[in-house]
Amino acid sequence: MAEDKNIKKSPMSRREFLRKCGSALAGGSILATGGVLATKAKGSSSDLFWQIDPTMCTQCGRCETECVLPVSAVKCFHANKVCGYCDLCGGYYRPSVKDLNTAAENLMCPTGAITRKFVEEPYFEYTIDENLCNGCGKCVKGCTSFGNGSLFLQIQQDLCLNCNECKISRVCVSGAIQRVPYEAAYKLKDHA
Amino acid sequence: MKKILVFLTLVLSQLQAWAEARFPKPDFTSGYQYPDIQHPVPYEQFWNGLDVVLLVAMMSVVAWATHKKQSRKAIFGVSVFSVLYFGFYRNGCVCSLGSVQNVVLALTDHTYHLPLYVLLIFLLPVIFTFLFGRVFCAGVCPLGALQELVNVKNFRINKAVTSALSIIPWIYLAFAMLYAATRSQFIICRLDPFIGIFRLGGDIGLITFGVILLLISVFVGRPFCQFLCPYGALLSVFGSVSVKKMEVTHKGCIDCKLCHHCCPVDALRPPYANQVKEDRLKGVKRLLMYFIMLPLLTLAGALFVGSNSQALSRAHKDVHLYDLIQLQEANPDMDPILEVTAFNEMGRTMEELEAQVQEVQQKFRIYGYLAGALIGFVLGFKLIRLSVKRTRKTYEIDHAACVACGKCFDYCPQNLKKNQ
Amino acid sequence: MNKNIFRNVALVTAVFMLALSTMLVVNYFQVRKATPLKTEVMETLKQLNESNGDNEALQAQIRQLDLLSRKAYFTQESHLKTGVYILCGMAAVLVLCLRYYFKESKKLPSKELDAIDEWMNKSKSRTYMTWGSVAAVAAALLFAFLSSPALRDTIEKAVEEGEELIAENSDATSGGDAVVAADSTEVAAADTTAVSGEDDGLPIPKVTSNAFRGNNASAVSGASGIPTSWDLGSGKNILWKNPIPKHGYNSPVINGRNVFITGADNAARELYCYDVYTGELKWTVKADNIPGSPSTMPKVNADTGLAGSTVATNGKQVCAIFATGDVIGVDMEGNRLWGKNIGLPDNHYGYASSLLMFGNELIIQYLNNSKSQILALNAANGNQLWSKTTKDKIAWSSPIIATLGGKSALVITSNPAVTAYNPSNGAELWRVDCLSGEVGASPTANNGVVYAASEYSKCIAIDGTTGEVKWEVSDYLPECASPAATKNLLFVATSYGMFCAYNTEDGSLVKEHDLSDAFYSSPVIVEGKVYLFSNSGKAYIFSASDCSLITSFNTGEKTFATPAFTDGMMVVRTDNSIYCVKKS
Repeated sequence: MAEDKNIKKSPMSRREFLRKCGSALAGGSILATGGVLATKAKGSSSDLFWQIDPTMCTQCGRCETECVLPVSAVKCFHANKVCGYCDLCGGYYRPSVKDLNTAAENLMCPTGAITRKFVEEPYFEYTIDENLCNGCGKCVKGCTSFGNGSLFLQIQQDLCLNCNECKISRVCVSGAIQRVPYEAAYKLKDHA
Repeated sequence: MKKILVFLTLVLSQLQAWAEARFPKPDFTSGYQYPDIQHPVPYEQFWNGLDVVLLVAMMSVVAWATHKKQSRKAIFGVSVFSVLYFGFYRNGCVCSLGSVQNVVLALTDHTYHLPLYVLLIFLLPVIFTFLFGRVFCAGVCPLGALQELVNVKNFRINKAVTSALSIIPWIYLAFAMLYAATRSQFIICRLDPFIGIFRLGGDIGLITFGVILLLISVFVGRPFCQFLCPYGALLSVFGSVSVKKMEVTHKGCIDCKLCHHCCPVDALRPPYANQVKEDRLKGVKRLLMYFIMLPLLTLAGALFVGSNSQALSRAHKDVHLYDLIQLQEANPDMDPILEVTAFNEMGRTMEELEAQVQEVQQKFRIYGYLAGALIGFVLGFKLIRLSVKRTRKTYEIDHAACVACGKCFDYCPQNLKKNQ
Repeated sequence: MNKNIFRNVALVTAVFMLALSTMLVVNYFQVRKATPLKTEVMETLKQLNESNGDNEALQAQIRQLDLLSRKAYFTQESHLKTGVYILCGMAAVLVLCLRYYFKESKKLPSKELDAIDEWMNKSKSRTYMTWGSVAAVAAALLFAFLSSPALRDTIEKAVEEGEELIAENSDATSGGDAVVAADSTEVAAADTTAVSGEDDGLPIPKVTSNAFRGNNASAVSGASGIPTSWDLGSGKNILWKNPIPKHGYNSPVINGRNVFITGADNAARELYCYDVYTGELKWTVKADNIPGSPSTMPKVNADTGLAGSTVATNGKQVCAIFATGDVIGVDMEGNRLWGKNIGLPDNHYGYASSLLMFGNELIIQYLNNSKSQILALNAANGNQLWSKTTKDKIAWSSPIIATLGGKSALVITSNPAVTAYNPSNGAELWRVDCLSGEVGASPTANNGVVYAASEYSKCIAIDGTTGEVKWEVSDYLPECASPAATKNLLFVATSYGMFCAYNTEDGSLVKEHDLSDAFYSSPVIVEGKVYLFSNSGKAYIFSASDCSLITSFNTGEKTFATPAFTDGMMVVRTDNSIYCVKKS
C-alpha cells in the first residue's frame, strides 16, 4: 500500500507538509483579514463614546438601574441657557406641590441632588450636584413635561467605562444611547 | 481620577433656541451671569495607544521568556502586571476577546465604525500567536492571568472529557459572531465572568459565576481558557501552525514526566508507541468515513442553526420590540410596556419596523447558516484529528492547547541545569 | 514549620472571607429588595400629603423618612465599596498563602502516573464528542420547542378565542335590540361598580353616562323610563334644579349617583359633583397649583368658554380638562389625585374637545394650531401612556370609542381626516381624508359603520373594518351638534334649524324637519326615541325608527349642552343651571 510505504519511509514528511500548508493558510488569512480591515479601520482621532441623544430620551428610568457601575454614569445635566429660571420648577418640585419650600414632601429629587439659589425676583438658579445624582431622570421628566427641557440626562464621560457594548443602550427603550464621536455629539443642549 | 480629564469650557455666545421653550429666557436685571459649567471630556486616545504599546511589549517579553530564556519568572511578572493594569486599572474594556465581535461586525456591516486600536487589539495577539505560539494567553490576557495567579494545584481531568468539552468555545465563538454580525448584541462582553471582579461590582450572577470559575481554577488550570474562551479557540488554530514552536527544553528530553505532571492545561503529550490494537483497514475505513462526514456535518450544522434562526433573531432589539408590540396588542389590559410606549411616542410606524425585522431575520438566516456550518465543520475536524494515530518518542507540546504559561520550564531538570 | 504558618493564615483568611462575602451578599439582596429611594410607603405618604392639605404630622413623618432613606442609600453604597476592597485584599493574602503552602518540591509524586493509553483515550473522546453533540442538538430542540413560538401560539389562540366570544356576545345583544348599541349596554353593565357613600335607601342607578353623549360617546343610552314631558315653570317631572357656580358649555356626566360638570372663569377652574337624586353639590375640586399652568387665561370665544370640554369617568376616577391645558384627575370622593398641564392649547376659539376614558386610559384629543397630538394618560396618576402626533389640523370635535370588527377603536374627526386608532397604543388603523374647514361635530358609529359630518364639507359613512367609504352626501350638515345613529338611520341636527334622518344603507334622505331653530346640543337616542334640545331651550322628541316628531315643547331655559341619561332620569345643563327630569 502506497500510504503505508510513505509512512515508513518518512513518517514526518507528510505532517511537515500539512503543517507548512497550515502555516501558509493561517499567515495568508491574517494578511487578508488585516488588509481588509486596515482599509476600514479609522484612526484614533475619531474614537467613539457612548452618548444619550436628549431629544430621543424618554426618561424611562433604566439608566439608573442598568449601568454596570454601582451608581450609574448617567447624570442629570443642566443647560442654564435653556432654563426659564422658574420659581415653580417642574424638575425641582413634585407635580402637585403646595408650598414652594425645600421640605422633603415637595421635592422631586430622591437624593436631594438639585439645589436652587435665588437670583432676583422671580428667578431661581438650579444646580445639580453630580456626586449625589443617581440618574433616575425624575427631574428630567418633570422639566421636559412642564418646563423648557433644560434638564437632560447625559453620560458623564469621566465615570463611563466606555464598555464595548453599553449595557444601558441594550435596554434603552428609544435607542437614544449611541456611540458617537464626542466632538460631533448631540449631547449638550446649550451649545450648538 | 483614572482618566486624565480635559475640561471643556462652554462657549457662552452660541445659544441654540430650544424648540419647546415654554418659558421665555429670563431678562436679568441684577447683572446675573450664566454659570460657567464644565463637563469633563474623554481623553482616551493616550490610554488606547498605551494599551497597544503595552500589549506588544508584554507579548514580546513572554515570547522572549518562552523561546529564549525558558523561565517562568518573567511570565509571572507579566501576569501580575496584566491583572493589575489591564484588569483592575483599565477595567478590561475593550479586550481582545470582545474585539472579535467588533471585527466581525466591521467585516459584515460596512456602516460600522471600527477604531484602529480595536483592530490592533484583535490582530496583534493573532500575529504573535502565529509567530511564537499562544504568548498572549500566557499572561498578557488579564482573564488568563487571573486564573493563573490563583491556581495552586492541578488535578487532572480525564482527557476524553476535556477534548469533548473543547468544542464549547467554538460554539460560543460561532454564536458570538452570529450575534455580532447581525448587530444584536455582544455576548462575549455581556457574559464575561471576570469583568465584574475587575470592576469590583456589577451583575451579581456573573460575579458569582466568575468566583466559581476562580474557585475551580485553584485546582484545575484555567477552566475559562480551556472550556469557554472563544478567542482562545481562534488562537489555538494559529498556535498549532505557529512559525516558531516552543520547547520545554532545548537540551533534550530525559522523559522525567515532570512537565506533563505540572502542566495546568494538559498540553504535554507523553511518548506513545503506536501499538495498533485494531485492524489497520478498520482504522483507515473509519478515517475515510470521518472525511465523508466532514461536509455532511457542516451541512447538518448549517441547516440546524439556519432553520432555527427565526428563534435566535429574538435577541435583536427590533425583533424583540416587534414581539412586545404584538404582545401588547394581544393583551390591551396589561400595563403598558415602556418600549411600546416609546415606539409610539417616537412616531415610528409598524411598516417601517416590519421591514427592519425582515431585514434582521434575513441576516440571521444567512449568518445562521454560516455559524452552523462553522460548528459542524469544527466538530467534524475534531473527530478526524481524534482518528489519527501518532507515534512520539519524547514528551511533546500540543501547541494548540499550550498557553505558554511556562510552568514546565521551572520543572524541567534539564532547564534547571542550564540556568544554574 | 513555616508551612503550618501559611496553612493557618490561609485558613483564617478563608473563614473571614466566607463570613464577609456572606454578609456582603446578604446586604446586597436586602438593599436591593428595599431600594431605599423608591419605597412605596414614601410615595403613598407624599400623595396623601398632596391630597390632604396641611397635615404637619404627616409632613414631619415624610421628612424623617426621606432623611432615613437617603442615609440608607448612601451609607450602603460606601459600605459595599469598603467591603469589596477588604474582600479583595483578603483574597490576595489567601492565594499567596495557598501558593506557599502548596509549593511542592519539583519531584515526581511517589505514585506513578497511570500509564496512558492514548488510543483508548481518543476512541473515548470520539464517543463523548458524538454523544455530546447529539445531546446538545436534542437540548436545543427541546428548548426551541418549549420557548416562545409554540407557547405564544397557544396564548394567541386563547386570546383570539376570547375575542371571538366577546364579539359573539356583543352580536347577540345588538341583534336583540337594534337601537341600543352593543358596546353601550356592555359598558353600562360593566360600569355599575360606582359606589356612593350615601345610605338613604335609594338605589344606585345602574345605567352610566361616562362621557359626552354617554358611554364611549356613542350618543345611545341604555336608560329607560325617561319622561316625554316636563316643565321647569310648574316643576312637572322636575326632580331638582340648582344653579351652577361657574359658567361652562360642557355637558353633564353620570356615574352611579354622581353627576359631574365643570365650570370656569378667569379666577378659577372647577369640577363639580352633584347627587343625582337630591341635586346637592357634594364636592368641588379646583384645578389650581398645576406646574406649567399659564398665569393669564387664554383668549377664547364667548361661545366656547374656558370650560367647553366635558369630563370623563371610569367609575374610579373622573378627569377634567380646561381651555388652559390643565388636566386633573379626581377620585369619586372628590380627592384630587393629580394635575398636570399638557401645554397651553393654541386655539383661536378655545379648546373644546371632550375627554374620553378607555379602561384606565384617559384619551385627550389635543388638535390645535401649532401642535396636533392624541394623548393617553393613566387616569389614576396622570402619567402618559402613549401619545401620537398627527398631521391633522385644529378641530373642536370629540373622540369616540367604536366597536369595529369586534374590536374597540378610537375614532376622531378633524380637518381633513376621519381616523381610527388602536386605543391601547395609538397605532393608526385607517384614515380617510374627507372633511375640510373647521370641524366641530364628533363622529358616531353603529353596527360597525363610522359616520362623520361637518358643515360646508360633507356627511360620510365609512366601513369601520376596512376604512372604505360607503357613501357621502351633503344635504344637511351639522356645525356643532354631533350626529347620532341607529342601525337604520343617521340623525343630523344643524345650526340653522334643520333636523333630518339619512338612510344608513345608501345615504338617502328619509325625513327632514325644518324647525326654524338652532341646535348646538347633540341628539341622544334613548328607548327608541331621539332627544334633542334647541339653543332656545325647546325640547324635541322624535321616534328613532322613522324620525317622526313625537312631541316638542319649551323648557324655558337656553340649552347648549347635551343631556345625560340614567335609570329613569335625565340631567340637563342649561345656560346657568342644572336640573334633573324624573317621572314624579
